[in-house]
Amino acid sequence: MTGHSDGSKDDPKAFSWLSRHLLWVDNPRYVDRLVWGLAVVCLALASADFAYHKHSYFPIEDIPGFYGFYGFVMCAALVISAKGLRVLLKRGEDYYAPNTVEAEEHPEFDLDREKFDA
Amino acid sequence: MPELLSPALVYVVAAILLPFIPQGLPRQITMLAVPFLGVAVFWDLSYGTYGSLNLMGMHVGLMRIDALSYIFGLIFSLAAFLAAIYAWHLRDTVQQVGALLYIGSAIGAVFAADLVTLFVFWEGTAIASVFLIWARRTEGSYATGMRYLIVQIGSGLLLLAGIILLYLETGSIAFNRMELGSLATWAIFLAFGIKCAFPLLHNWLQDAYPAATVTGAVILSAFTTKLAVYALARGFPGTEMLIYIGAVMTLFPIFYAVIENDLRRVLAYSLNNQLGFMVVGIGIGTPLALNGTAAHAFCHILYKALLFMSVGAVLFRTGTAKGSELGGLYKTMPWTMVFCVVGAASISAFPLFSGFISKSLILSASADEGHYIVWLILLFASAGVFHHSGIKIPYFAFFAHDSGKRPKEAPLHMLIAMGLTAALCIGIGVYPAPLYALLPYDVDYQPYTTAHVITQLQLLFFSALAFAVLMKTGIYPPELRSTNLDTDWTYRRLLPAAIGKLQNAVVGTWRFGVRLTEARLDRLLTGVYRAHGPQGALARTWPTGSMVLWIAVLLGVTLLLTYM
Repeated sequence: MTGHSDGSKDDPKAFSWLSRHLLWVDNPRYVDRLVWGLAVVCLALASADFAYHKHSYFPIEDIPGFYGFYGFVMCAALVISAKGLRVLLKRGEDYYAPNTVEAEEHPEFDLDREKFDA
Repeated sequence: MPELLSPALVYVVAAILLPFIPQGLPRQITMLAVPFLGVAVFWDLSYGTYGSLNLMGMHVGLMRIDALSYIFGLIFSLAAFLAAIYAWHLRDTVQQVGALLYIGSAIGAVFAADLVTLFVFWEGTAIASVFLIWARRTEGSYATGMRYLIVQIGSGLLLLAGIILLYLETGSIAFNRMELGSLATWAIFLAFGIKCAFPLLHNWLQDAYPAATVTGAVILSAFTTKLAVYALARGFPGTEMLIYIGAVMTLFPIFYAVIENDLRRVLAYSLNNQLGFMVVGIGIGTPLALNGTAAHAFCHILYKALLFMSVGAVLFRTGTAKGSELGGLYKTMPWTMVFCVVGAASISAFPLFSGFISKSLILSASADEGHYIVWLILLFASAGVFHHSGIKIPYFAFFAHDSGKRPKEAPLHMLIAMGLTAALCIGIGVYPAPLYALLPYDVDYQPYTTAHVITQLQLLFFSALAFAVLMKTGIYPPELRSTNLDTDWTYRRLLPAAIGKLQNAVVGTWRFGVRLTEARLDRLLTGVYRAHGPQGALARTWPTGSMVLWIAVLLGVTLLLTYM
């Protein structure tokens, strides 16, 4: 594959302004902070439910933080059950070959591969 | 002639002329101008039916303009314009002509006042669009295109059958609201359902769209399925069954989207999920719900095109759209990343983005009508779509583990197309009034209430937290190069296998029968041969003496019998 080891000669100064300001996302320490920050925002949003009156359609909406907990639980359930589904449904990329685009390269005439030049 | 003028005609004429216009600037300008000319045809017209004529005793109306067809005609034209910018680099006549005919057919179908006109354009979209898949010119895309075409033409034939039955029943081919009940309306309903990717009829969508070219997928994502949504909204509003069909549609694709590796296929699954919201809206059928469907279709076309554009740009630069091969692209494709995130935020219905102001109409309508379970499903589907489209697509393409790929930023024309689309997504989200003014019904709706904003943010942020926790704990399934079995397995594997078995059985029985009769025939022939063959008893030449002897014996016996 082309472009696999391009990263070794990275020169951050060559990146655009936007990219340079995002480089911290590769630092695990900052990612941890981001996750904790997210947790704090979630907590704040859940407690915001006490601060206003909601016109609710269904009784379940009156539980403080219902939307948040519902989102969290259902998303976790979604991912875990999808992971289980993979056991049943996953096959090799060439399962339908040659009658599938999955196992073939995208034709070059439709592409314009160009590497980032520092 | 002006009587027959319709936006579809503009596209068809352009498609016929296009091969004679030299590639490069003249053709690029033409592609950009056609959507404007198309809009100019209906922009100023007051509501009513134009291009009416009598054809063999049937009343045909080429162009019906009312609030519903107007908003769809407008968004289709807008999508055509944005796609033309995105495809500025394209030098492929097949794709250009195919795209024009496809878009023209879709717009023609939206304005059709009768079912025969609808049918003609319905098939037009099927036949023209397949060239956007075949334009990839590989064995895999040829087979995929064939499968796509069979399903699409099947939908068209079902529609035709329904129209004929309906004409025999009612003597009219007008395309208006229908009641499910007769065979005719069921056939039409099912034809719409196939194109709308109803559950179990859906798989052509996920099969075909990722097989299209870079620009082809962007164009495909906008028209076919939204035409079907329009047709359902016109023909079957308030059909209760659609509520449940739609709810299932929002639900099951999200499971597939989580484990799918090809990001364009992930988008196809989430497209299906978004169609579910629109179908629920049609099923509820109240003015608020139908407004929701129209608004959601409008916003959806934009943010879905934006997502396909950004993933397409990644494919364009790196040669792959597979999550397992990508990652870390934010370093060298930051603008594409930003536009992708805008599309992701819009589809996830973040406040201030377009999805928020359209999806909440449908959710509110379902709550208004007291559909508790459906409402819970839609809420779950909203969280789910954020999970796989909102987070997964940008995360695995632009962040996640560094793939080491350092592609150049997307070309300028793609950035312009994405930038314009992103601006529209944000603009509609921040200031929804102009869109609301276009909706079919007068409904006073306020999306930005404290409760709406807080509850939606809760749903989204907690879902993001779930993603972060699952990622951190390593539970989140990694992107793997794979094929996931879906309903296409039934016609790509099960059915051929079953037909193979059946064929073997038939051949076996035939051979056994042949062997059996052959043995019998053999025995019969040997018997005959033994009797009549050269050595056979009946074929022997007997000496004259023995003949005389036997005659004498015969005479003797006769004499004896006479005297007795």
